[in-house]
Amino acid sequence: MDIILGIRVQDCTIIATSKAFTRGISILNSTDDKTRQLGEHSLMAFTGESGDTVQFAEYIQANMQLHAMRESYELSPKATASFVRNQLASSLRSRKPYQVNVLIAGFDTKTEKPSLNWLDYLGTNVELPYCAHGYAAFYTSSLLDRHYRADMTQQEGLDLLQLCVKELQLRMPMDFKGVLVKVVSNEGVKIVDF
Amino acid sequence: MSRRYDSRTTIFSPEGRLYQVEYALEAISHAGTAIGILAEDGVVLAAEKKVTSKLLEQDTSAEKMYLLNDNMVCAVAGMNADAGILINHARYTAQQYLKTYNEDIPCEQLIRRVCDVKQGYTQHGGLRPFGVSFIYAGYDDRYEFQLFTSNPSGNYSGWKATSIGANTSSAQTLLKNDYKSDMKISEASKLALKILSKTMDASLLNSEKVEFATLTKSKTTGKVIHKIWKPAEIDQLIKDSGVLEEAEKEAEKEQ
Amino acid sequence: MNSVASQFTFKNTKQDFQDAQQSLSGFQQLNLAPSLALPPISQPTDFLRAHTDDSVNPDCKIKIAHGTTTLAFRFKEGIVVAVDSRATAGNWIASQTVKKVIEINPFLLGTMAGGAADCQYWETWLGTQCRLHELREKERISVAAASKILSNLVYLYKGMGLSMGTMVCGYTKKEGPTIYYVDSDGTRLKGDLFCVGSGQTFAYGVLDASYHWDLSVDEALELGKRSILAATHRDAYSGGSINLFHVTEQGWVFHGNYDVGPLFWETKAQEGSFNNVEG
Repeated sequence: MDIILGIRVQDCTIIATSKAFTRGISILNSTDDKTRQLGEHSLMAFTGESGDTVQFAEYIQANMQLHAMRESYELSPKATASFVRNQLASSLRSRKPYQVNVLIAGFDTKTEKPSLNWLDYLGTNVELPYCAHGYAAFYTSSLLDRHYRADMTQQEGLDLLQLCVKELQLRMPMDFKGVLVKVVSNEGVKIVDF
Repeated sequence: MSRRYDSRTTIFSPEGRLYQVEYALEAISHAGTAIGILAEDGVVLAAEKKVTSKLLEQDTSAEKMYLLNDNMVCAVAGMNADAGILINHARYTAQQYLKTYNEDIPCEQLIRRVCDVKQGYTQHGGLRPFGVSFIYAGYDDRYEFQLFTSNPSGNYSGWKATSIGANTSSAQTLLKNDYKSDMKISEASKLALKILSKTMDASLLNSEKVEFATLTKSKTTGKVIHKIWKPAEIDQLIKDSGVLEEAEKEAEKEQ
Repeated sequence: MNSVASQFTFKNTKQDFQDAQQSLSGFQQLNLAPSLALPPISQPTDFLRAHTDDSVNPDCKIKIAHGTTTLAFRFKEGIVVAVDSRATAGNWIASQTVKKVIEINPFLLGTMAGGAADCQYWETWLGTQCRLHELREKERISVAAASKILSNLVYLYKGMGLSMGTMVCGYTKKEGPTIYYVDSDGTRLKGDLFCVGSGQTFAYGVLDASYHWDLSVDEALELGKRSILAATHRDAYSGGSINLFHVTEQGWVFHGNYDVGPLFWETKAQEGSFNNVEG
């Protein structure tokens, strides 16, 4: 029942992930961070089989760092998403696939545009203006369909996110301990008070 | 003396030399010249095709110009059979990159991958180095138009204008004199032909002896246009460039 | 199905071969060449899952010891670790005197929930890894690194039947008192307070209510003990006695073993609690 949510606005992409770490019927931690930074301008949020999630995210993170060292430049968000898609697709056909769904938020410094990619463990990769994984999508999709505008500012985006989180808190059967919000923009990845 | 070392690719001679690599470079210095010039709006590659026999079929047009992917072309100097292996590797690598990243491979990265193979053959025992040098014309988002060369040792370098093959040193002297950084593709083409005509043994420049390739960018779509020229187009270009008349004039002057 | 399969198992073919040989030669052939014995199953992982996982198959023949309550929490003066001591295999109480705190080294403790053998084996293995680190780096391993060695190891065996829920507790200069929760699906979490095992919810209930950072050592030890007692009272799979530990900068200190039988009545009388029980 993890919540991971992404909204792309005019000049940044906002990522929100639930802070509860749940195992069985207990919440083990209420300050969990379900994201890993892949580069200066890209962030990956993840959910899925416990164990797989962090291992996969840190594996991707290590590969992106390796690439940055070898080539002395960072991959574009689009290329990053394609790379992650390929890793998931080949993992799916291995003996023990990673059962991980991710969102990749990026800011392409070349084109000066933010991006948001939705990927699932089957290897689906789509670029979207706003998206979520799991139950959160059921509650927030309609809300975002109704209120989202492509030319929103960062603050308007955060306000819209606030609306989504309010709805989740109201209707989700479990307390997810609030969300950790990060913004990927021209200036890199920043945590936002929420 | 050198016999003890030069049959081994992997062993340094007492003077610290790798003879097999040097022999490969020597083989290339007898191959047809290839010239590359970086212009403001594109890259030109021109190469001399050596006609070994009159009986040889000539219509199998380009044999020294190869397309590596949508935005890279290369010219070969040296053994064509060896080049085939490396070009196949380069094409495969480029496609694999495109498959994983959904973006074209950056020029330098592709060249480095080819050079990794070349380097391997100077170090692992029992194998002969590749007898090929390349000139690469490429385009990528980061550095736009680029010109590179690579040689059998596995070294590569970037250039504004350069040449490989026979008469390299004279071609490079001419390039140094005539190269201007603000050249357009048409001027660069003309310069390439002019230099080629001077470094070639045969006096008459024609499509039977020259291969030509250009890399430019479409003004309307912004896409990279790669073009390996057809014999008829090369003849037309030679005619338009006026290189032949200039050569004649110079010949008269000398007389 | 077995009558078909048995014809092809290693054991039977070998037996048939020996029988045939014997009938030909008339005397027992000495088996001089060494042979490698293999389990007569094609997929050991599937076999284990089918015969040991009682969450999937309640009728499985081999029941691995599972039920437990363990807890550890950080506070001003270090870490308190408290565990019960009951081992169960299905409904059968296999032991009341299990050591569920594994002393990895004088500065590191590991707790044991899930498969007893898995925890015991891999946590002592972790101890050797920590010692090797110490010899190589001339410095004690951090709790973060030690727990990561364990979590990477169990991740390697993911899906192959390992069952562990453990807390790696330690105190280093750099980190201070530190607890990492590591389990066999590869999860690794840093935190102030964890309860693990079938009685975790009962332990959480008491612990969360009275826990705060500024607890004194005595208060903390008492709270740890009381929380396990609560769990042993309500969880059928937890019981026996309570083992108490305190982790300080100088290493861990053992604070005794308390049989929950008498402890329950003492506590009840002292606190006036457990009013659901008469007597």
